[in-house]
Amino acid sequence: MDIQNTQSQMRKGVLEFCILSIIRHGEVYPSDIVEKMKAANLHILEGTLYPLLTRLKNAGLLTYRWVESNSGPPRKYFLMTDEGMAFYAELESTWEELAGAVKTLTEMSPENIETETPNHNQ
Amino acid sequence: MKKVININFQGRVVPIEETAYDILKQYIDSLQQYFSAEEGNDEIINDIEGRIAELFAETLKKGSTCITDEDVDAIINSMGRPADFEADEINLQSKAENENRKSQSESKGAGNEKESTIPPPLNRRLFRDENDKVVAGVCAGLANYFNIDRVVVRVLFVIFFGALFIPYLILWVAVPSTASTVIGSMRKRLYRDPENSMIGGVCSGIAHYFNINVWIPRVLFLIPFISFLFRWTHFGPWNFPNIVNFSFSPGATIIYIILWIAIPEAKSTSEKLEMKGEKVDLNSIKSTIQQDMVGVKDRAKKFGEEVKERAQEIGASISQRGRTTASEATTVARRSSGGLGRVIVVLFKIFAYFIVGIIVFSLVVSLLSIGVVFAGFLPYKVYLINDGWQTVFLWGTLLLFIWVPVIGIITWIIRRIANTKSHSNFMTYSFIALWTLGWACMIFLVSSLTKDFGSNNTPKEEMVQLVNPGVDKLEIKNASNTNDFIRSRWWKFEPFANVDDDTVFVKNIEIKVVKSTNDSFSVKMFRVSNGSSRAEANALASKINYPIYQKDSTLILGSGIAITPQEKFRNQEVYITVAVPVGKRIIIDRYVGWDNNDGFHFGNGFDEYDWRKYNNNNDNSDEYDWDHNVEYIMTASGLKRVHPDLNNNDGPDENTMPQNNQRQPQDSTYRYQQPNQQKDSVKKISASAVEKENTTIKTVSTLFMQRFLI
Repeated sequence: MDIQNTQSQMRKGVLEFCILSIIRHGEVYPSDIVEKMKAANLHILEGTLYPLLTRLKNAGLLTYRWVESNSGPPRKYFLMTDEGMAFYAELESTWEELAGAVKTLTEMSPENIETETPNHNQ
Repeated sequence: MKKVININFQGRVVPIEETAYDILKQYIDSLQQYFSAEEGNDEIINDIEGRIAELFAETLKKGSTCITDEDVDAIINSMGRPADFEADEINLQSKAENENRKSQSESKGAGNEKESTIPPPLNRRLFRDENDKVVAGVCAGLANYFNIDRVVVRVLFVIFFGALFIPYLILWVAVPSTASTVIGSMRKRLYRDPENSMIGGVCSGIAHYFNINVWIPRVLFLIPFISFLFRWTHFGPWNFPNIVNFSFSPGATIIYIILWIAIPEAKSTSEKLEMKGEKVDLNSIKSTIQQDMVGVKDRAKKFGEEVKERAQEIGASISQRGRTTASEATTVARRSSGGLGRVIVVLFKIFAYFIVGIIVFSLVVSLLSIGVVFAGFLPYKVYLINDGWQTVFLWGTLLLFIWVPVIGIITWIIRRIANTKSHSNFMTYSFIALWTLGWACMIFLVSSLTKDFGSNNTPKEEMVQLVNPGVDKLEIKNASNTNDFIRSRWWKFEPFANVDDDTVFVKNIEIKVVKSTNDSFSVKMFRVSNGSSRAEANALASKINYPIYQKDSTLILGSGIAITPQEKFRNQEVYITVAVPVGKRIIIDRYVGWDNNDGFHFGNGFDEYDWRKYNNNNDNSDEYDWDHNVEYIMTASGLKRVHPDLNNNDGPDENTMPQNNQRQPQDSTYRYQQPNQQKDSVKKISASAVEKENTTIKTVSTLFMQRFLI
């Protein structure tokens, strides 16, 4: 099993959720999403972000509006739709469930496992 | 220095370096290809372009005058290449499907997990798997396609290796690689890598092309060179098998030089990208060849037209009559049906190619052979050429006059075939300049050598004291039979019969048989030489140490005239006159000297006329023709064979030597060529070498120049 592959699978599994969690707070420009995620030590390429945003937008979870910029072409600011909010809430609950489960499993002391395994056998 | 162009990028005018533009365009193309299957791909590309445009605007605002390669590279790195977000793709596609399913049936986290382990049903197409391959990824690709374990497929392939080997190759060629579809594929091209070079970057360029370690081509180039050094130690008298050696070692150097000239250097970034581009495998080679074939056809057509034009020009300029016949011919051609005319044109073209091909081929071959013959002289250089300027001119002649056009023609052919456009005429001019220098060297060499051979000595007749002049039969033999060994070699430079470390023996010994005035044998000797002045010629002649002595009835002669590097070869020659009394016999061994012909010399040496002039026995100086290993008897009317029945010819006077000798039984078993024939061939090679250079090279070279300058 390739460790890098597993790592990226894990990371990318939560990518969508993280992006949505950023957009949830209000209108945001894609490169700001990258910056914010970078600040949280979660790196993402813009080339990965744009297709993801487009997909989410096409699924009706996001919408955008054009904002004139004085440093280049007009910018596309993304914001959440109501549908997106509902989707996010669902993801959040799944995440909490998962995170809790992972936490209990990983923090489980060796004794507990040892006591548990014989139980299984009996 | 780089060219800057303005592009309209997302509605803005952006000044950008041409090379940076190439990189950017390639990047956008690769994105477009990557997202082509995606819904709303235009939008994604547009968004990414918009972001890039914004970053460009920022760079320009900071005070940059234009977008450089580095800027584009930095932006691409931050955006990511398709290869970097490939893993995303599969993952996200499966996610998108999950979403659909989720909206239908409200599943929970556990379901999500399960679904992500199922491989996404990608569009079914057979690819060779580049990521998991042993040889070419055919097995892995088949396994992916049929959704079975790749180990199974591999084991099957190994078991039925014999039967499946060819299908494997076919699949390798026919099935595209996954790599070729993922990254914006570009054709890999052979460039020299200037950044990673030892000499010219040829090896590192080859390494990039075949995706191998740089040291592999380097060592391949070095191995023959090392073996060359090994062999050089017993290079000695240049014998023929050494030509194999020659083709390997300096061959490697010449190939390197040719590649150096023929392969363009990767200067711009796009060229460097092309150099390192897509992996070369059978597929890309196939497509490259296909493209090249089309190119070659075009080029061949163009070439043919050129030849035709040239032929027409020449035809027109020859004479008025030629022109009228040509016009007649064209009208006839016009009158005849178009199809027939076309056939004639095609036939003419084929003929023209044929002729041009033969001319070019023979040109290269003749130049090469001249070069090889010249190289044959090299071991004897010290015996002929003075140190200093003469040596410099000799090397100049060899390298510039002979090898430069060879390399030039080969390079030109390669460039012509590869359709490499030279950016300037620099190379043409430098070749011409070098070659002109070669001409100058040759002329200087010849003139300086001519001067060194300019004067004769004053020959003196020397009597050789015979111990026993009254014998009935005199046998003339060589002091040693070392020639036996020398002659069995494939190739030898005939007049220089034997080479010691610092001495070369020249077999310039001429034996003349005359009638004696009294009843005893007598032997006379002339020592002759050339030199830059009469004094020098006399000195050289007096230095000739040629031993002659009699032992019983045998006259033993030295095997050759010793030439040392200090006393150069200046047509030193020994004339021996043997006076045979009437009724007595003489036999001359096959290894001894030349017969009635002149020996080997450059320019005007001592000859028949001189011999008669300085020979004091004027009344008896009629010399007789003789053959080696034939016993003769002197009669009152001249020299006669003792056993005329052995060779049924009329008499020695009408001898045509080679034919005559072939009939001799003792020679038919002997594999060594007859001296006469050999001498003739040597004369052809050596004595007329200067002539050859002047005539053949001149014609050959003018032709070469014509073609080269087009």
